[in-house]
Amino acid sequence: MSLLEVKEAGFGYGRHNVLEKISFQMEAGEVICLIGPNGSGKTTLLDCIMGIFPLKKGEILLQGKNINHLKAREIARIIAYVPQIHKKTFPYTVEEIVLMGRASHVGMFGSPGRDDSFIAYEAIETVGIQHLLHRPYTELSGGEGQLVMIARALAQQSRIMIMDEPTTYLDFQNSLIVLEVTRQLAKKKNLSIILATHYLNHAFYFENNGLTTFTAMLNEKNFAIFGRPGEVLTKENISKIFKIECKIIDYDLDELKKQKYIIPIKLSEKEALVYV
Amino acid sequence: MQKFSSALKLKKNGILLILIIVLPFIGIFFSLFIGRYPLTWSDIMAVFRVAANSHVSQDFPDIYNTVVWKIRLPRAILGAMVGGSLAISGAAFQGLFRNPLVSSGILGVSSGASFGAVLAIIIYGQNYMVYFYAFGFALLAVVMSFFIGQIYHSTPTITLVLGGVVVSSIFSALVSFAKFVADPFEKLPSITFWLMGSLATAQYKDIYFSIMPISIGVIGLIALRWQINVLSMGDKEAQALGINNILTKIIMVLCASLATAGAISVSGNIGWVGLVMPHIGRMMVGNDNRILIPASFFLGAFFMIVVDNLSRTLIGAEIPLGILTALIGGPFFVYLLKKTKGKGW
Repeated sequence: MSLLEVKEAGFGYGRHNVLEKISFQMEAGEVICLIGPNGSGKTTLLDCIMGIFPLKKGEILLQGKNINHLKAREIARIIAYVPQIHKKTFPYTVEEIVLMGRASHVGMFGSPGRDDSFIAYEAIETVGIQHLLHRPYTELSGGEGQLVMIARALAQQSRIMIMDEPTTYLDFQNSLIVLEVTRQLAKKKNLSIILATHYLNHAFYFENNGLTTFTAMLNEKNFAIFGRPGEVLTKENISKIFKIECKIIDYDLDELKKQKYIIPIKLSEKEALVYV
Repeated sequence: MQKFSSALKLKKNGILLILIIVLPFIGIFFSLFIGRYPLTWSDIMAVFRVAANSHVSQDFPDIYNTVVWKIRLPRAILGAMVGGSLAISGAAFQGLFRNPLVSSGILGVSSGASFGAVLAIIIYGQNYMVYFYAFGFALLAVVMSFFIGQIYHSTPTITLVLGGVVVSSIFSALVSFAKFVADPFEKLPSITFWLMGSLATAQYKDIYFSIMPISIGVIGLIALRWQINVLSMGDKEAQALGINNILTKIIMVLCASLATAGAISVSGNIGWVGLVMPHIGRMMVGNDNRILIPASFFLGAFFMIVVDNLSRTLIGAEIPLGILTALIGGPFFVYLLKKTKGKGW
């Protein structure tokens, strides 16, 4: 029984189909990088996996159970979510935010107890933001804010963490901090990660750091390719799906390892004409 | 390991919190001494002595008893209930709608109640039917808002707010129309007075009428107070965190509406409390609804007692509460904003 199994999943808004016949499965400690052009349905797929939208076709099994038969609370104990953008309204403190990760373990008319506080604090410590504990999260920088969201997901004590473009608004250093924290969590806590991203090189980052990494390239409602980053992220595939020309270079990470890096060069000839 | 959790915060805020809880009771106590009927401190002490000990013989006229126990006490208690309900539902709605500018009337409760009351005044005159009509139409307005918000097969909060706006304006228009056709000498004055809010006619029967909906609403909101934190993260995140969005929202809206409807059906329309008292709470105790929700109740209760005391003593006649809440609440809010520099906000 897989941790997560998606079988022939199909979904659409109204008559407009967004996803068709998507199938894959995932085991503990694995990383899946979900890539694809804007509007290809990455976020929608993530929402379906989290049970936000019920599928139109196919099924999603979480630890062997159909997600349609699970309550929000049961899903949240298996899947945690790190949002791409988080609209901040009230200046809750970091502590209060992370504590919300315990919602699936607290009754409907209850409040989190001592154990929940302890778990939330552990999550804050794991991510390394103890110094922000009592700061209002509205005052944090983008990178710090993202770490708070990861800590909140961690406090859920789930087995899968879904991240929707977690580094989009971050600078180089903060992107790498988020990636590294994520990698550590997968490695040490055996957490499975599904990460939607536009930074194709993230897949190589996880792979080179010893995680079982897959890359799913979403295009026109379906996985165009699903496999190891090296197999999926080829010059040909990227050119075809993103309609660009690119180069893939190898550079020495250290004496033993090489890392690939994708550099987008320009729009493909045919595409370029459209914009003239 | 560094001390974590609310234990620390509670210790730091402990004295403040106790003060916030005690304030309304102090307010009710002192309300017994304030009023137009000339009773001195020692008169009232004598009334207390007789009430406390049946062996003490009464050496003052019975009217003293009536003033203290049948007029001033129920009025102060009712004021506390009304103010507390408006403030606590305002705080809950602000969290639910992730919008600091909404108040207890957001889903059309107040305009629904207003129309119900106006309708009853026109049909039956100023009698107990006003309560039932106000209460009934207040809940009807919320249900209508809710169903309008459901048109998109879910309860995204924005459509719920839109539903509230639509329903509010419909009922406001109906109120204007009713005022337009009402008898200008008999009915219009009582309609206008009701619309501005007053506790002038407060009696124990008002308390009996409103205590059920208010208790259910307030206790429900206090029980749900932490879920409001989670809901204020937005629909998608709340669900991903494991909250049953729709059920939790329905219960919350129901509780907040019961409390508000129970309050305004006996007091008339009192604005401002449901908007500003939660913010004053935020400045004092922070944004965590675990503390803010109960604190809003006690702050709202205290504020309403103070305002009501002013309303019956400032000038010869009763000043409608709706006018005073705005006149006092506004400047006080600005003062607090300046003093706390918007802390917690």
